[in-house]
Amino acid sequence: MAVAKTRTSSFSRNLSTASPSLGPGLKCGPNGTVLLSSGIPDLDKILGGGFPLGSLVMVTEDAEAPHHMLLLRNFMAQGLVHSQPLLYASPARDPRGFLGTLPSPATSKDDKSRGPEPDQEKGLRIAWQYKKYFGENQLNFDGQRDGKHEYSSEFDLRKPLERHFINGQRVDCVGIQDSPDLSILRDRCATFLSQFPRNDGSISCAGRIAIQSFCAPQCAYSNMEWEMLSFIRSLKSMVRSSNSVAIITFPPSLLSPSFCKRWQHMADTLLSVKAIQDDDKELAQLLTGYQDMVGFLNVHKVARINTQVPVILEATTFSIKLQKRRYLVLECLNQAPVDGLSGTSYGTSGSCSSSSKTGNLDF
Amino acid sequence: MAKSIFIALREGALEGELAPALTIKDSVASPFGFQVFDHVLCQLFSSILAGKSPSRGLIVVSFSRSPSFYLELLKSKGISVASSDKRIQILDCYNDPLGWKDQLVESGNFRAPSHEALISSVVTVFREVKHMDKLFNSIIELGRGLVGGGKIRFSIAIDSVDEMLRRASVSSVARLLSNLRSHDQISSIFWLLHSDLHKARVTAVLEYLSSMVASLEPSHQLANGQRGDLENFSLIEHNSKKGKFHVRFKKRNGRVRMMSEEVHIEQSGINFTPLSSEGAINQGLVPKVQFNLQLSEKERIDKANVVLPFEHQGNGKPLQIYDGRRSLVDSKHVDAVENVETNEDGGRGEIIYYRDSDDEMPDSDEDPDDDLDI
Repeated sequence: MAVAKTRTSSFSRNLSTASPSLGPGLKCGPNGTVLLSSGIPDLDKILGGGFPLGSLVMVTEDAEAPHHMLLLRNFMAQGLVHSQPLLYASPARDPRGFLGTLPSPATSKDDKSRGPEPDQEKGLRIAWQYKKYFGENQLNFDGQRDGKHEYSSEFDLRKPLERHFINGQRVDCVGIQDSPDLSILRDRCATFLSQFPRNDGSISCAGRIAIQSFCAPQCAYSNMEWEMLSFIRSLKSMVRSSNSVAIITFPPSLLSPSFCKRWQHMADTLLSVKAIQDDDKELAQLLTGYQDMVGFLNVHKVARINTQVPVILEATTFSIKLQKRRYLVLECLNQAPVDGLSGTSYGTSGSCSSSSKTGNLDF
Repeated sequence: MAKSIFIALREGALEGELAPALTIKDSVASPFGFQVFDHVLCQLFSSILAGKSPSRGLIVVSFSRSPSFYLELLKSKGISVASSDKRIQILDCYNDPLGWKDQLVESGNFRAPSHEALISSVVTVFREVKHMDKLFNSIIELGRGLVGGGKIRFSIAIDSVDEMLRRASVSSVARLLSNLRSHDQISSIFWLLHSDLHKARVTAVLEYLSSMVASLEPSHQLANGQRGDLENFSLIEHNSKKGKFHVRFKKRNGRVRMMSEEVHIEQSGINFTPLSSEGAINQGLVPKVQFNLQLSEKERIDKANVVLPFEHQGNGKPLQIYDGRRSLVDSKHVDAVENVETNEDGGRGEIIYYRDSDDEMPDSDEDPDDDLDI
């Protein structure tokens, strides 16, 4: 886990005034940005706090696994819990149906021992330089026990979100399957984003846009590649000048390679999910905890707004696990000790095609 | 294994889930897609008849083959359609897909052949294959007519998606398939695809839309597609009777299951057998590293022949070392060069060690360079 250090360099914006008052679910980030949570505490930690307002997040799907839906569910549920308005577009016949699958925040009385309990620590003598990492974990753990206004909640995927969150006027759904071109979606996004203009004052409310499987084959516009690209560009510019975050998921195997690259360059934050093969003996030998993993998450790009300094992550591949089948956790990959006698070398080179069996293991 | 496919199709969809969809994919190198399709169809239908499945009926959308073929097929498997006409319906997109025969009948130039009663009770002719939404409505109507409305489910078999793609765009076919999958009353669906008839994107789209992909591959790859050699004839012969059957399952928990089997085509039908492991993975005791630690025979000989460029070559000649100073006499320098040349012609190498002194300590304080005889 990387400890986030705020770098004060000549490239960072100096905040001379006191930080503006922020609505629920928002917090100040580095370089004058305001962050909102992705709904997955581990992902927030990896990205340095969350998604910055005004950024475009893109997630490349794997055609063989529905893990992007997990990311979307947590993102949308987090927004609803903080009463942040949401616009959801999906190629399904009935997009509203997806809202019924959103998870509910886990109540603190649920037993989930993630970090060390404070009592236990007294018995442990931790070497002094490691205490700083444990301290961070402690803060997060204590933060969970507050009321519902904490920044990021742990979501219980088995419990559906309470109805009153969804029934408010704050959720708007768009079906993109039947529209012949993207003008309807663009207009809906524009109207939605006009609710959150950016000015230098306080931010009372932030908006979230979630577009699922943007180039799904059943959409009538799915072979109009240039139109889709220009939609993404205009969405990005609209989002940049408003207080909101947009997340778009798309299956890259259905796009031509050059467009796939162009779309990836459009993203401020780029993530990808990959499926795991079941009963893969090589992977089971290579990684500990293979049985609990459901997929891999790769972080390719992290949004850096108002600064020129890039983020270099310690690790970019994480395994997606469902703890107790309820909570989505992301873990760094731990390599099992290689058995010299067995003869397998751990240089499984990852290839970049999404259909390869070994996947892209990038330590 | 092929059995898991049948089980998945038979079990059908859970509440609120998309119906499991199977793509059977073949190519010219291994053209058994039709046989596999027939096999899956017969298996599914017999389990529907036996009541083992929540699905109560089967709709066959036949594009590539005549409906009577399917009736004959089921009869040959011992499944009598006459008593089960409440369980199967065939949507005939083969006989008159664009409605031309209809138009000819109207203009009086054509007399439509009359069919026997059995066929007409089971088969419905569809004449507008260019319109996917009308096809969708007809399929659903036919299904509802078969099993009734409400929550009762039925399964669908689409003869070949290639024919659909000939006449309609990829996105409309994709819309049809995804709407079928998300329909409440559909339990499972499967279709056949010939992958070499389409661009790679189309195959990718159909794989994206399905939850299981069964692909047929030849057991022996033909080299460069040459078909003239005698050697290749036997391979082709081999490939015409058997092949490899690979299945990729998308499981509910998000993992992908891959399975392989061998498939044999016989007169009586098709057989699946577990893959014979050709060339088991031989794990030697030496761990696999990226560089070669062993020497081949030739390398060993060459190593032995190398003349080491040290002062003591063991042939008694005095040596000169050119240390860069011009004061050395040229003739002596030439001499040294000649020495080296004759040495290399020797063809054998030796390392001769002159022990400098018996009681020399390895880490003595003396400067080891003192031992050089310059």
